[in-house]
Amino acid sequence: MNLAFSGIDGVIILVFYALVMLLIGYLSGRGDKKIHHSMSGYFLAGKNLGFIALFFTLYATQYSGNTIVGYAPTAYRSGFSWIQSVSFMTIIIGVYLLFAPRLYVISKRNKFITPTDWLKYRFNSKAVTLLGVFLMLWGLGNYLLEQLVAIGQAVAGMTGGTIPYQVAVIAFILVMLAYEWMGGMKAVAFTDVMQGLVLMVGILVFLGGALYLVGGNLTNVTTFIMDSEPAKVGVPAMETSINWFSILLLVGCGAAIYPHAVQRIYSAESEKTLKKSFARMAWMPPVTTGLVFVIGIIGISMFPGLNEANSEQLVGMMANEIASINSFYYWVMILFFGGIVAAIVSTADSVLLSFSSMISNDIYGNFINPKASEYRKVLVGKIVGVIAVILLIWIAWNPPGTLYQIFVLKFELLVQVFPAFILGLYWKKLSARPVFLGMLLGAVIAGVMTLTGHSTVYGIHGGVIGLLVNFVVAVGGSVLVPVSAKQEGRADEMTSLKIEA
Amino acid sequence: MEKMKEPIKKKWIWIGLVLIILVIVPWYYPDKAVEPIILGFPFWAFLSGVFSLVLCGYLSWLCTHEWNIVEDFEEEEKRKVDEK
Repeated sequence: MNLAFSGIDGVIILVFYALVMLLIGYLSGRGDKKIHHSMSGYFLAGKNLGFIALFFTLYATQYSGNTIVGYAPTAYRSGFSWIQSVSFMTIIIGVYLLFAPRLYVISKRNKFITPTDWLKYRFNSKAVTLLGVFLMLWGLGNYLLEQLVAIGQAVAGMTGGTIPYQVAVIAFILVMLAYEWMGGMKAVAFTDVMQGLVLMVGILVFLGGALYLVGGNLTNVTTFIMDSEPAKVGVPAMETSINWFSILLLVGCGAAIYPHAVQRIYSAESEKTLKKSFARMAWMPPVTTGLVFVIGIIGISMFPGLNEANSEQLVGMMANEIASINSFYYWVMILFFGGIVAAIVSTADSVLLSFSSMISNDIYGNFINPKASEYRKVLVGKIVGVIAVILLIWIAWNPPGTLYQIFVLKFELLVQVFPAFILGLYWKKLSARPVFLGMLLGAVIAGVMTLTGHSTVYGIHGGVIGLLVNFVVAVGGSVLVPVSAKQEGRADEMTSLKIEA
Repeated sequence: MEKMKEPIKKKWIWIGLVLIILVIVPWYYPDKAVEPIILGFPFWAFLSGVFSLVLCGYLSWLCTHEWNIVEDFEEEEKRKVDEK
């Protein structure tokens, strides 16, 4: 998006944000030797995150700058049916309730670092572990790539090209790598407090400005849309409703078991902190994706008739109009766009940290050099993280078109870990081989359907169909070939709710 | 000490969740359910939005009221550490 309103002012704000992030990173790493000498210290902030940090890191990780830049145009194109973005972000908390309470206890007792630690512990199978790691790294890599593309677009747009796309990506990634290197999860969580706050306030002011421009009356907007594009106001077709159910399943199950999301469960200081954070998070969708949805709807009346490619620029176009109201809005819009960049960085940093931890713990520490010291494992994770980012930037130079498409793609594969993850917590008879087969089949179905251009069938996503097959195979196989009484007893022990080992 | 509570073990929680989802998704409206327009939302979207808020409230309430496994133990430990 190109913003005529900013330019050099935008550059100043971005530099300011970058400096604040670096300062927070430096302060959170200073004087804490444990961070660099312990896996749990670096990757999970010593499993000691309090309420404020935990809440904001959940928030800033779940809601990226893309939530605004990508979802407002989607609301613009699909109309009122995009109100679904409130329910599909809320349902994630419902899925957390399925597994987080028990997983929290088990992870504390066994000092888990990554989600794979749970799969490895529960199934004791190399095949399940490796496939799980592969699917999760795939999802994380894709997600990180999306954030890297978005950083460049947002910065280049905000500064009117004063900072070109490539320079923007490299500059912000260097900032992110630097603070993450210095403070690990602690730095990530504390920068999230700043980034999350800016995002929340920014959305509110943006909506205020947009409402002001349309005369403060949403009913007029809706009446206008009813006359010009009635389909965007009408009751959605049955296929749209089915797609809505499907996306609830896909996003709910997928987003809740994102490795960085699971690691936030591990990082909580206590059960009390964790549930308090989730209880607040449950109210965030209406004030985040809900308000962005209204912004997109207002956009329909401000800029009617944009085609798909032009509608992607919607937020920038609206920001230009809002910034020209008066100098207050001008500066708030600049702060807000800096906030969008910060919000993208805050999501990217969490994903990168999770990626590093899986390389460090699940691949290096598990298969390559199990005897390595914690310091060495942390170091390997950091270095491989940097290499991964360089590879992804190389891919990001040819950014894909619409953001939303990649968003669905990453869930399709990641969600296949769900049955192993959740069923394994509660069902003692679940055994490794059917779990592996189910996961593999589900991933193949989802992948093939998406690659052959059939990402949905009658509104149902390939990932959801794969997930159903995956469930049937895992459960059916475990019933047909029962585990021994000894294994069942072991599973019972593993999934117990005792806090102490 | 409060009784141990784990959400997965309570069937009504999940039945409630499914029911709320069933009313959020607008599969059951006739085509004319666009009017009246309430606060700028077409009728069906207004109701879907209201039920989405119900979902937020329901889940938020469940987190604080139906989840209690090791909290008492942890808070007790924390209190002991603080006293030292």
